[in-house]
Amino acid sequence: MKTRFMLAAASALGLMLAGNAAMAQGAAPSCPIKLGAIIPLTGPQGPIGKPIADTAQLAVEHVNAAGGVKGCPIEMVLRDDTGQPTLGVDAARYLVDVQKVPAIVGVVGSGIATAIVSAVTTSAKVPMVSCCAVTPTLTRLSEEGKTGGYFFRTIPTSRVFAVAHAVAATDRGYKNPVVIYVNNDFGSALLRDLEKAIGTLGGKIAGAIPYNENQPSYRTEVNQALALKGDALILIAFSQDGATLAREWISLGGTQNLVLHNTLRSQDFISAVGARFLTKAAGIDNAQVAGASVDAFNAGFKAKFNRDPVGPGLHTVYDSAVVTALAMQQAATLDGTAIRDALRQVQDPAGEVVVPGVEGIKKSLEAIKAGRKVRYVGATGPFTFDKNGDVTGPALVWKVEDGKLVTDKVIDLEQMTALFKRIGY
Amino acid sequence: MMGTLSYLVFFVTVASLFAIATLGLNLQWGFSGQFNAGVVGFMAIGAYTYAALTAPAQHEHVGGLDWPVIAALVAAMAVTALVALAIGLVTIRLRTDYLALATFGIAAAINHLALNLEGITGGGRGIAGIAKPFADLPPLWFGLAFLALAAGALLAVYLLLERLVRSPWGRALRAVREDEVAAAALGKDVDRMRLTAFVIGAAPMGLSGALYAAFIGYVSPYDFLAILTFQIWAMLIVGGSGNNAGAVLGSFVVWALWSLSGIVVVLIVPTKLQVQGGAIQAILIGLLLVAMLIFRPRGLMGERLHSSPLLRDDAAVRH
Amino acid sequence: MIAQLVIDGLLTGAVIALGAIGITLGLAILRFANFGYAELMTVGGYAALTAVLAYGGTGAPLGPFSFGGFLAVALAVGLVVTALVAVASDVVVFRPLRRRGAGPLVLIFASFGLALVLRHVVLLIFGTQPEYYSREIQMAVLLPGDVRVMPDQLLVLAITVLALVALWWLLNHTRMGLAMRAVAENTPLARACAIDPEMAIRWTWIVSGALGALAGTLFGLTVQLRPEMGANLLLPLFTAAVLGGVGSIPGAVIGGLLVGLAENLSVLVLPTSYKATVPFLIMLACFLLRPKGLFGK
Repeated sequence: MKTRFMLAAASALGLMLAGNAAMAQGAAPSCPIKLGAIIPLTGPQGPIGKPIADTAQLAVEHVNAAGGVKGCPIEMVLRDDTGQPTLGVDAARYLVDVQKVPAIVGVVGSGIATAIVSAVTTSAKVPMVSCCAVTPTLTRLSEEGKTGGYFFRTIPTSRVFAVAHAVAATDRGYKNPVVIYVNNDFGSALLRDLEKAIGTLGGKIAGAIPYNENQPSYRTEVNQALALKGDALILIAFSQDGATLAREWISLGGTQNLVLHNTLRSQDFISAVGARFLTKAAGIDNAQVAGASVDAFNAGFKAKFNRDPVGPGLHTVYDSAVVTALAMQQAATLDGTAIRDALRQVQDPAGEVVVPGVEGIKKSLEAIKAGRKVRYVGATGPFTFDKNGDVTGPALVWKVEDGKLVTDKVIDLEQMTALFKRIGY
Repeated sequence: MMGTLSYLVFFVTVASLFAIATLGLNLQWGFSGQFNAGVVGFMAIGAYTYAALTAPAQHEHVGGLDWPVIAALVAAMAVTALVALAIGLVTIRLRTDYLALATFGIAAAINHLALNLEGITGGGRGIAGIAKPFADLPPLWFGLAFLALAAGALLAVYLLLERLVRSPWGRALRAVREDEVAAAALGKDVDRMRLTAFVIGAAPMGLSGALYAAFIGYVSPYDFLAILTFQIWAMLIVGGSGNNAGAVLGSFVVWALWSLSGIVVVLIVPTKLQVQGGAIQAILIGLLLVAMLIFRPRGLMGERLHSSPLLRDDAAVRH
Repeated sequence: MIAQLVIDGLLTGAVIALGAIGITLGLAILRFANFGYAELMTVGGYAALTAVLAYGGTGAPLGPFSFGGFLAVALAVGLVVTALVAVASDVVVFRPLRRRGAGPLVLIFASFGLALVLRHVVLLIFGTQPEYYSREIQMAVLLPGDVRVMPDQLLVLAITVLALVALWWLLNHTRMGLAMRAVAENTPLARACAIDPEMAIRWTWIVSGALGALAGTLFGLTVQLRPEMGANLLLPLFTAAVLGGVGSIPGAVIGGLLVGLAENLSVLVLPTSYKATVPFLIMLACFLLRPKGLFGK
């Protein structure tokens, strides 16, 4: 048993080294170019992670169909972090050290993203373009210079969501909404921003009830929230808990004036709660303004998966992978620092506008190769990394009609910036 | 090749940190039979103590104390030991499976506190910017220097615990484990011995957590989920409880399986099937543990029999 | 408000009570804390779901309830499948360990490993999205005192009472129940009286597996089915069993109700974010003040 055990461990190690050797052999033309991805495929975030991983893979396929980067196809090397930061850091170290990836995309959990930035990517000078980590901690680390400028994200910070929630609620005349929010960094940061935003737009939160993830039942929280007697419910919850909370809220006679978070923007949620209870519901999500770039992504997604790209992180992960690929094309060498700088260059405001999809990416790769400036307008619409690597983006309000998700209103980038100013963020 | 070396340095560092916690658990369970199902709680206390003492000032939570690394590591152990003492005083008279339940609950409660005591722990956002020793060195040298620190700490804990369990006190401790009544009849203060072992065993767990915080530079409640307790236990059982060298070996083997199996999944499973790959990985680890318990209950390295050479003939005669 | 919290506490407590009985039987007869027990609830809930999916739903909703008559059949499937899984886990894992004379702590750890396996097998087959027997949402009925409950929940309460009566009869009026109680009291003595302890153990697994399936199905009916649902209920279940006193079935029931009540009433004094810590605080208080539990011997 002991020897068999050792053998198993040794052969696993051998496999790892073999992978490395194979890569070293192919190093001369350095084809294919590797792109690291860390996404939770199992564990509590597995349900949202899986479609995110598929979409990242779709982005890579688009880039490859468009001719690849520097004439090479891209190969996405995906690791599952299972939602455990230790494994996320291990995955990042492996991707950076052994697979020698020049950049990492994905990374859903804020706790995992912060651990990886803190322990791996900054010191290794490898840019990480997160699709989904919204924590304000990373903005602060950037401001303090502790990310070396190697951290980027294509998802707007929680403030964009807060504004969208406030607009969706006050547009509908809700003056005293109750908030039920997930008790983690994302939920509590969002709540603080939301209080400020709703106050500015002429409402006042009647009360906020935190809930912890993975409780067997949320009846107590729902009852607490009902007792606050608000005129609407703003629900900031992850998909599984969100369905339970919404069902219990409606069962117990809570108002159907719901404002739902982007994590609940899915057909699964609608079928779990029942479309007939959601006729008055509104929801929010980042970006996806209407426009050629968004349509191009949506069409590409539908062609591949035969459904509409609805769900958290899909648009942002596509953009994180494509913008990284374009930056690789732009950078003189496939070195982390060069890619870091190139990530901003492919968003040149004076550049040629380029969009998602095989055609769009092909045009942009060629333009970059020809030495022309480009501005990537992505699946999430136009976005620009600010000095902290954050993006402020447009947002949208959605609703449910005949059991389908439809866009109700778009808060474009200009309106968003104006609202930020008015709220005083 | 440098890359693989760098990854191996990282891997050995993390495994060493786990091994330190496993050694602590070995004193509690392997040598004194106390089922601590809340290992992760003690690691969290060590990590948060270290973080609070070294993280820069922030308006959201305490910080700016700027303790030197060594002092903060010692303090992390001391605070963990104190908390263990408080917990031990409450739970020392519990029958063993009740102790498992109590410590399991304590770890859950500690996680809730980490999530909710924003002023100390930063809540869900965690504490970032924790002082890393050797942070000024270039990455590979940082890795090597930290490996030296981690391996040094592991060696120190190993040697101290080995000394302890070979001492007369250690022999008495095993006697308590085997037969409390007989040990009590021989005049041993059973409760006191168990409590001491519990507290001494908790200190390395705190050290492990603190070193982890120092290594990563960031802690959050998501670092200390129940699955980590399970991993530490797996390390002890696979390595062989009651044997300190086994505990260290088990830590390396189990962590290798846990992280390398992810790598193998990357290498051989097509991207499309990797969600299933993750679940299969967890199933295999569960099966391995159960199989280990059934087919090789003493682990890779079972407990060595410690008996005085003077007694050995005696024992042979008696058998 | 308080009346609502009390009612909610009793309704949550009923499901916890059912699960806690399985745990307390395990502690008394199998003599170890089965950390994998809660996974049997998950297995039972999902086994019933499989039947519902195969049939294409639960049938037309019955009266005020959210589900149709087929759920009874699905429940029966769940009971049988879970009892089989429980017995199989004993045959494959726990019996070999028992034969070798492994201590209770090895058994606990084996149960941890088994829990990991069962949970991920469910995840592998059914995925991570929450599932429901019926997607119908029922509207709560308003009872006097401004208390809102759902018809399903009242039915859950009634089924729990029925199950308890059946269990009481089983343990007190059948040979099998007698054997189980005898082994719980004193295994060597039972053996001396020609009771086969292995037989009693087998029945314990069957009974506790069936109870787990019932609890899991009722939980799925009133909340939702998720692969982690059992794991999330572990702490409340053990608290209820310990609070009631090991081996005491009325104790487990009262323990379950108390845990449900305490969790729900805690929000009067604590923020909801600490709610999940409450069962643990009760357990610790119980260990300190009355380590044998309310009804322990």
